[in-house]
Amino acid sequence: MAVKFFGQFLVEKGLITREKLLKALELQQATNLKFGEMAHAMGLLSSVDIDRIHRLQHTEDLRFGDAAQKLGLLTSEQVQQVVTRQSNSYLYIGHALVEVGALNPDQLERHLADFQKDQAVYRVDRIEIPSNVPHAGLWEVCADLTCKMLTRVAQLPHRAEQCRPITRLAPNKLIVAMDLGGAVKGRYFLSASAGIQETLARAILKVDDVSGEPEEVLDDTLAEFANIVCGNVAAKGGQLGFHVEIAPPEILHPGSPIEVPEGQAGLLFPYHIVENERLEMALFVQK
Amino acid sequence: MKKVLIVDDSITVARQLERIIAGAGDFQVVGHAKNGAEGIKLNQTEDPDIICMDMNMPVMDGLAALRSISVLDPKVKVVMVTSLGGVGDRFTEAMKLGARNVISKPFEEDTVLQILRAL
Repeated sequence: MAVKFFGQFLVEKGLITREKLLKALELQQATNLKFGEMAHAMGLLSSVDIDRIHRLQHTEDLRFGDAAQKLGLLTSEQVQQVVTRQSNSYLYIGHALVEVGALNPDQLERHLADFQKDQAVYRVDRIEIPSNVPHAGLWEVCADLTCKMLTRVAQLPHRAEQCRPITRLAPNKLIVAMDLGGAVKGRYFLSASAGIQETLARAILKVDDVSGEPEEVLDDTLAEFANIVCGNVAAKGGQLGFHVEIAPPEILHPGSPIEVPEGQAGLLFPYHIVENERLEMALFVQK
Repeated sequence: MKKVLIVDDSITVARQLERIIAGAGDFQVVGHAKNGAEGIKLNQTEDPDIICMDMNMPVMDGLAALRSISVLDPKVKVVMVTSLGGVGDRFTEAMKLGARNVISKPFEEDTVLQILRAL
């Protein structure tokens, strides 16, 4: 059970072959024009205009349509026309699979319903992120998936407390950190006390006793848990339009607080599990 | 009995996979590499039928290793094991490079065995 896209779900279940999926992806790629390609096909932009827009995008964080407007090459009405045309002609992967003969329409409908059922658990519920933090939607996903994976992977009953801003992350027995890059810049932390670490390790390794396990193995279980959460955040982020890259997890045993760097916002998401044990997720994100 | 090589920097994932794969009775785990470069070496010495390989690893990631293995040893069947599987372009790239399937993390025992047995 993980966040995935429809084509992957079908291949995983053995409902289509990878060859058919690749064919459908090629068809989808050839059919779905990017904004610039569509504007060019509609006669609204020349190749020279598109190059100018790309150059501006290298220096300013602007979407293609916004950059075209800033350069005076398109009006807001024209941008809307292009978006509407893109949306109306968009070929979804399911329909592409029908086009290449991998599925018939009845199978598509049935498998899509199964897929939506499989993925329904990953819908994001409302989590309050302070309004001055950019890309709040993605950080909501981080918080939401951490909770869901704590329940599903670690079988750890918990109660999530309200998110609160922090300027430093308090030390703990073990903290795992993962850098998030791509369209966003941030660092994900998972901080666990000794008892929580052992509980997580027992659940993840599927053993009753971890007292004989080397510290390296116990640390690795928390790192792997963070890796699963962040990988799924990247996957879910992709579905929401954020291109997110993740670096491998780092294991930290900080003896002192970790300060939030200047220019970043610190967010703490505490989880209440049992008395005298502490599990927290934290995010340091670029303002 | 099919020989399986596990390539993953996480001891936890390697242990989970080994427990599932070796416990099934029809596979034998022949090695565990901690990154893509080690995976390429162990593929040469252990000559596995199947490689279960993580995508996100230090030193050499799974896609880079897959690229090399596909050229050096086209007969070995590579399955990517990743929590990044849902990211369409990475999934597509892995498939284009020759991966036979992708196992998403967190994984279930049945799913892993079903995918390996279908290879």
